[in-house]
Amino acid sequence: MAEPAAETAFAEEALTHLDTLYRGALRLTHDPDAAQDLVQEAYLRAIRYQHSYQAGTNMKAWLFAIMRNLFWDRFKGSRRDDVSLDDVGDFVLYDRLKDEGAKPESDVLDKIAASEVVAAVDKLPPLHREVVLLVDVEGFSYKDAAQALGVPIGTVMSRLHRARQQLQKSLYDYAVESGIVRPRQVPQQ
Amino acid sequence: MKCAECADKLDRFLDRELNNTEALEVQLHLEGCPDCMEHYDFESHLKRLVKHSCECDTAPTTLREKLRQILS
Repeated sequence: MAEPAAETAFAEEALTHLDTLYRGALRLTHDPDAAQDLVQEAYLRAIRYQHSYQAGTNMKAWLFAIMRNLFWDRFKGSRRDDVSLDDVGDFVLYDRLKDEGAKPESDVLDKIAASEVVAAVDKLPPLHREVVLLVDVEGFSYKDAAQALGVPIGTVMSRLHRARQQLQKSLYDYAVESGIVRPRQVPQQ
Repeated sequence: MKCAECADKLDRFLDRELNNTEALEVQLHLEGCPDCMEHYDFESHLKRLVKHSCECDTAPTTLREKLRQILS
């Protein structure tokens, strides 16, 4: 058993990562109540297994791993039902907007609301959503993201690449639907 | 470095995942290539947009207090 002072210090440090865990849980469950339950259970489990945490390693990644494993066990049962991404090919938003004759940054990015970006993230399948959350939102290195997700770094990189392409395609579709971008008309034969 | 190679490394440059030599090569290319610099600025802006949009959510105070009580 850890000393009471050590347990308190562990709990204090763990709580500094609460926002990261809650955001992750919210984006995974899409439900504030379920996210709170998931985070609470993750913290209880973290306390129970704190002896397995190695001091000096990345506690945020360790806690996120506990939370997301609970999510997959509780909400998904099996990882096989994670729907695969649409095949958007090599979609690069910047290149597409340049092709449309738009100024990508000032004409488009400045006009996309935060809520639309969150909606585009939420549309990603969970296995791809979580890597965007870790790397782009929480600033994890690929190595720490790999630890949190329990996969090799190469898997983090490939999921991130595909997730970003899908995200950019969703934002492009939104920009077209909302009139921010007017696609060039293909001349009729 | 050619533009295609720069574009290929742009994500890892933004994510700070290139080694020092590769990062310097990309940096030098960007400084001499306005087109790639514009692309870099766009990708950097988009990454910030994703971060700030999703960072708005923070844990409810009630949850923080509840956990503090449970864990103390």
